[in-house]
This record gives sequence, structure tokens and C-alpha cells, in this order.
Amino acid sequence: MDDSKEGSSFAVHISPEQVQRFCEFLYRRTGMSFAESKRYFIDRRLEDRITATGSSSFQEYFSLLRADADQEIEHLINSFTVNETYFYREEHQLRCMTTSLLEAIVCQKKPGSTLRIWSIPCSTGEEPYSIALWLMENWPQVDSYNIEIVGSDIDTRALKAAAEGIYGDRALMRLSHDIIGRYFGPVTGGNHQIDEGLRNSIEFTRANLIDTKDMTQYRDFDLIFCRNVLIYFDDASRRLAAENLYDCLRPGGYICLGHSESMSRISPLFRVSRFPDAIVYQRPEADHG
Amino acid sequence: MPALAVALAREPIPRVREAMMTALIRIGNAASIEVLLPYLRSQEASVRAAAIEALQALPEAIAPFMSPLLNDGDSDVRLLATELARNMEASEATRLLCELIEHEHHPNVCAAAIDVLTEVGTPEALPTLERCSARFAATPFLPFAVSIAMSRISGEES
Repeated sequence: MDDSKEGSSFAVHISPEQVQRFCEFLYRRTGMSFAESKRYFIDRRLEDRITATGSSSFQEYFSLLRADADQEIEHLINSFTVNETYFYREEHQLRCMTTSLLEAIVCQKKPGSTLRIWSIPCSTGEEPYSIALWLMENWPQVDSYNIEIVGSDIDTRALKAAAEGIYGDRALMRLSHDIIGRYFGPVTGGNHQIDEGLRNSIEFTRANLIDTKDMTQYRDFDLIFCRNVLIYFDDASRRLAAENLYDCLRPGGYICLGHSESMSRISPLFRVSRFPDAIVYQRPEADHG
Repeated sequence: MPALAVALAREPIPRVREAMMTALIRIGNAASIEVLLPYLRSQEASVRAAAIEALQALPEAIAPFMSPLLNDGDSDVRLLATELARNMEASEATRLLCELIEHEHHPNVCAAAIDVLTEVGTPEALPTLERCSARFAATPFLPFAVSIAMSRISGEES
């Protein structure tokens, strides 16, 4: 994708009907939904993408988008989403983990047994470390189980950064000074490095969600965080990813998706579970014909 | 492929059926389409929905099968087939759906086609939509659906 025209003064008129058409497509394709009050936000990003792709009209751009030419859907989603990742992002899901999910999971486990949690994609590590921190701070039974946290991503550079565990102030903006003081140490450049014990407690591995053979090495997870990635996949890849994730979960295990994603649109394999803090998806205890 | 077709027909476990359909999508050729098409006639809604979802993921491979499907004697099959046009290239989807609408007598099939055109239709659909609106003037929801589709396609307020 050549974004060289991005930011040019070229302007395309987009009518309310065209915005409506665009929004309906976006919702069907990604699950992302915008209220009328977000009209300015939509118009701006849509105009940017029309300009960046060199399209001369909404119609031309919409055809290009539908065909996903030059991975335009990915570019579009990126322009509509906050790509920033930081500690304790989507905190309601972390709260759901300790107030509801783990209680349901450990009621079938003996104290001392293993609890496996997977963060995929884990990017530069903020999510798996957040899970570890949250558990230590908010789950009284944290020492009663052998907790294994695995962080996986397709990008090996991101994994290297995750293993190093060095973050700037922005990534830590949701953490209290107390937590930063107890779990991070200062490093050069005004950055912070997460405690060595925590770094060593998380296993970082490369994994490709749509590579079934690759995914066979990941099994028996009780809980998976797979946020904001399935929206980028086409229908066939999304199906495959959903099936692979299903196989990676223990029967009865849960999966947390991003706020605009819905597993029920992706695969009928999972059961919707509504908890006070979040809606998550569960692999049924047993397959029934 | 014949083995997969036989296995799919016999498979009672939804999780395994899903995997088989995903395998057919990944193969993605005309033979895959031929295995999936009979499921559009299933009596089970979940099976029909799964078949539609799988066929929708193969917009290029389904193209040669569209005309027969849109002319099928069963209105339920014609109605479901309109949904298969949704992921097709816009001009081809418009051509196929307009051909259907021009001779279709079942209002629900027309409504399904109009719904797809609302998202994917090109301006070439406008005359067909106008004629459809006139032909089904006594079925108020259709002229209403047409007015929405026309405004979205033309980019102008209805």
C-alpha cells in the first residue's frame, strides 16, 4: 500500500448514505459499530483512506475495500482502532478473570494443580505481564495453583521486546505508582523494566493462529486472551483460527476476545457466557452430536 | 474429495462438521462447491447457515454456479443464493441479482436480493430497482426496501 498521498489536501465528498453503506459493511465484516455521534470521526478516517489509496470517489474506494485490494481492510481497521497497547488495557476482562472465570475453572481442579493462561497475540508483552500482575494483586488463591502464562505472537521482534520487558511511561499509564514501584525498576532513557522474576515466569513463543500444525503444540489452556486480531482475518482464516483456538482450550475453558469481536459470528463451536464484568466464550464441556 | 463428501454427510458432531467445511473452503475449487451446495436444501437451519457461510467464503469458485442457483425451482434456494453474491465482485453481483429481480415473482426472494444490492450494488442496478418497486407496488415493504437501496447506491437521500 502506497500511503504517500496521505495527508494531502485532496478532498472527496461523502454523503450520509454512503457513510451508512460503509458502516453497515464495516459492521458485517469486523463487528465494529459506530453511533451517529461519531460521524465526524468516521468521515475523517474514511476521507484519509480514500486519499491514501488514490481513489477518486467513495464508490471507487468502496470497491477496493470490498475486494480487500492491497490489504485495505487491515489499513482501514488500523485507522479506526487504537493500536496502542498498554498495561491493564480492557481492565474489565481482567476483573472478570479474577471475579468469575477462575472461580469457575478452579472448582474442578485440586489445589496445587496447573492453571494455563495464554495471551495471543501478545505483541510486546503488556498483556501477559498485565495478567500476571493482576493475578498477584487481585486473586487471593494465586499461590494455591501452579499458574503457567504463555505469551505468543507471530512477530519475533515483538517477542524479543516482550522478553526484555522494557516500557515507557505511556505503557504504564494505567498502573498505580505503588505497582510500578514494586514490580518495575528504572532503566536508561527514563524507561522501566519489569521485575526479573516476572519476566522469567512467562514463556514467550512464536505462534501463528491460522497454522493448524503450528497450533498443535498449544493445548490444555484454561483461559485464552485473544484480543483484536480476529477482526483482521477474512472469513476462511477466521474459521480456521476459531477451530484452532477451540482445540487449544480444555473443555470448559474460556476465551476473551476484543470488545468489537464476537465468536458467535465466527464459529458456532463456542458458547456465549455472560458475566457481570464481560462477555466471554466457552468451549463446551463435551461435544454433543 | 469424494471421501470428504461422504464423511461430511455422515458426521453428527458439529465441531467435526465445521472442520470439514473449513477444509473444503481451504481446497476452494469447484469440487468443494459441489460438495457444499446440497446442504442449501437441508431441513436443518443450522446446516443451511453453515453451508451459506462456507460458500460465501469462496466468491470466485461459486461464480459459475450462481445462475443455476438463482434460477432454481425452490424459492428458498434462490433466496439463500442471493446471500452468496454479497462477497462477489460488485459489478458481477449486481448483474446476477438484477437478472434475478427482473423475473422473480416471490417478494421475499426480491427482498433478499435488494438487501444484498443495498450493500454491494452499483448504479447499473437502479433501473431494475425502479421496475421492481413498480411491479411490487402492492407489497409496501418492497418499494420501501428499494428506496433505501437506491439511496445507498446513488449516494443520495431517498
